[in-house]
Amino acid sequence: MRLVLARCQVDYAGRLTAHLPMANRLLLVKSDGSVSVHSDDRAYKPLNWMSPPCWLTEDDGENGGAVWTVQNKAGEKLVITIEQVLHDLAHELGAEPGLVKDGVEAHLQELLAEHIVTLGDGYSLVRREFPTAIGPVDILARDAEGIAVAVEIKRRGEIDGVEQLTRYLELLNRDPLLAPVRGVFAAQIIKPQARTLAEDRGIRCVTLDYDALRGIESDEFRLF
Amino acid sequence: MKIRVERDGLAEAVAWVARSLPSRPSVPVLGGVLLEAGAGDADTDALTVSGFDYEVSATVGVPATIADGGRTLVSGRLLADITKSLPAQPVDIAVDGARVSITCGNARFSLPTMPVEDYPQLPAQPSFAGELAGDAFGQAVAQVAIASGKDDTLPMLTGMRLEINGDSLTMVATDRFRLAMKEFSWQPAEGITEAAVLVPARTLAEAAKSLGSSGSNVRLGLASGDGLLGLAGSGRFATTRLLDAEFPPYRQLLPSQHTSRAVLEVPALAEAIKRVSLVAERGTQVRLEFGEGSLRLTAGGDDEGSAEEELPVEHEGEPVTIAFNPAYLTDGLAALNSDRAELTFTTPSRPALLKPADEDGKVAPGYLYLLMPVRLPG
Repeated sequence: MRLVLARCQVDYAGRLTAHLPMANRLLLVKSDGSVSVHSDDRAYKPLNWMSPPCWLTEDDGENGGAVWTVQNKAGEKLVITIEQVLHDLAHELGAEPGLVKDGVEAHLQELLAEHIVTLGDGYSLVRREFPTAIGPVDILARDAEGIAVAVEIKRRGEIDGVEQLTRYLELLNRDPLLAPVRGVFAAQIIKPQARTLAEDRGIRCVTLDYDALRGIESDEFRLF
Repeated sequence: MKIRVERDGLAEAVAWVARSLPSRPSVPVLGGVLLEAGAGDADTDALTVSGFDYEVSATVGVPATIADGGRTLVSGRLLADITKSLPAQPVDIAVDGARVSITCGNARFSLPTMPVEDYPQLPAQPSFAGELAGDAFGQAVAQVAIASGKDDTLPMLTGMRLEINGDSLTMVATDRFRLAMKEFSWQPAEGITEAAVLVPARTLAEAAKSLGSSGSNVRLGLASGDGLLGLAGSGRFATTRLLDAEFPPYRQLLPSQHTSRAVLEVPALAEAIKRVSLVAERGTQVRLEFGEGSLRLTAGGDDEGSAEEELPVEHEGEPVTIAFNPAYLTDGLAALNSDRAELTFTTPSRPALLKPADEDGKVAPGYLYLLMPVRLPG
């Protein structure tokens, strides 16, 4: 990872042309060859960039400056004319372990699997992350009568979560060994629209109490 | 269908039925009200207005002159808005094909109808279980429903338990921080000795409010097999689905003894709590310091500002400080429906019991509000 703080001008020539006038910017050169030009705002979003695969060539420019040319297979070019380099730092970051699923959601899945009877008496766990053709279902369980139940777990239960579970249910119900599969939409908070949609599709909604599942009793005084 | 009906009766009936309709129906027909004129029975010269969303049903009859019987289904919200704003003149309702026309004075509305065949069958009124005065019922439900839980994490706490034991009826609700209970007598139907059901508290509170204000008796019906509670009074019928959950064993929570007892003036105390709790940020506490003949209320701290107020009080027992959530305490005081209250407790970490009291400080039986204190600072 190479970071260059520089006073530069950027010209892009390809499917369209774009021009950034001379100003101070941050140039990021990543080990995959990609180059992006950032200003001091808009969080992660660069002003301009070239995605890999692409190649950077550095040439000398006028008055001791430099000209970087980033080119890809399609012949598109990002030309960065550097007037002055303020800072140039390179560092080896190593391999990225990857984005871990939202801590609470993953933990909710783990906890609910441990305490599957939260969903009802007689429930038993089949497995977590039960595979389907379009991705794993959070939990597959069986209820007291042995009927398969697919559980989708969310922190905030919104409409897209219900849609996701609906897709899983449709696939799971094609499996003659599992069908009929019923759905449970479990979340810490369930939005009213999501609840209406879920119940309309015959999916049961369960509100999860994270603290109670973790076994952490609130230190408030309670009657019971 | 072609009928003539009085404007006031119609507006009231439609408003009552439309109130229990879902705001976002999953199936459009559930957002409709069903109008039935002389449906089946030739001798009932009445219009029946009903609504149902699989949870709650509401049905009310309105006297009408029927030229031509029939059934039709129209948008409940729209019909409620229209009937409310009609002038005080007879209303003519006529169905013509897929539209219904409503004529009143010089105003005329034409609304599209929804297919009656798609409308679900309304549940039958459950068998009669007993009756009691409507106003007493309405008041009792309001007094108890206040302690019911509002969030769905623990479904049994959003319900109100109705316990029938011969001619005594008990209502209980709790959200784990407080518990309200009312016991009173009623007239059970023959053969009804013992029963207990859990009814969604919010639905019951709304139904009781509209049935209780009518001044007549409220009849309760139970069909435990179908999981239904029926309510009927002054021509109105409602059913609600019961909650299928276990209510916590609450009787063991009621304290059997106390070491401190105070008799409080409810309006003065409620006012004072309202004032001092202005500095108590949401979810914090108001502290009650009971001393010799006086009660000192304090709230807040050094950071957010503090407040205190002193009131005269009749107190028996050692001087003691106990703290409560001000909202829960105010709810309890308001639910007593009494100008004086008795507060009994033992230690600052054990539940306190609030009961209505008369002029002499004697407890009026029937109602109690059990309130858990909050932890004192330090």
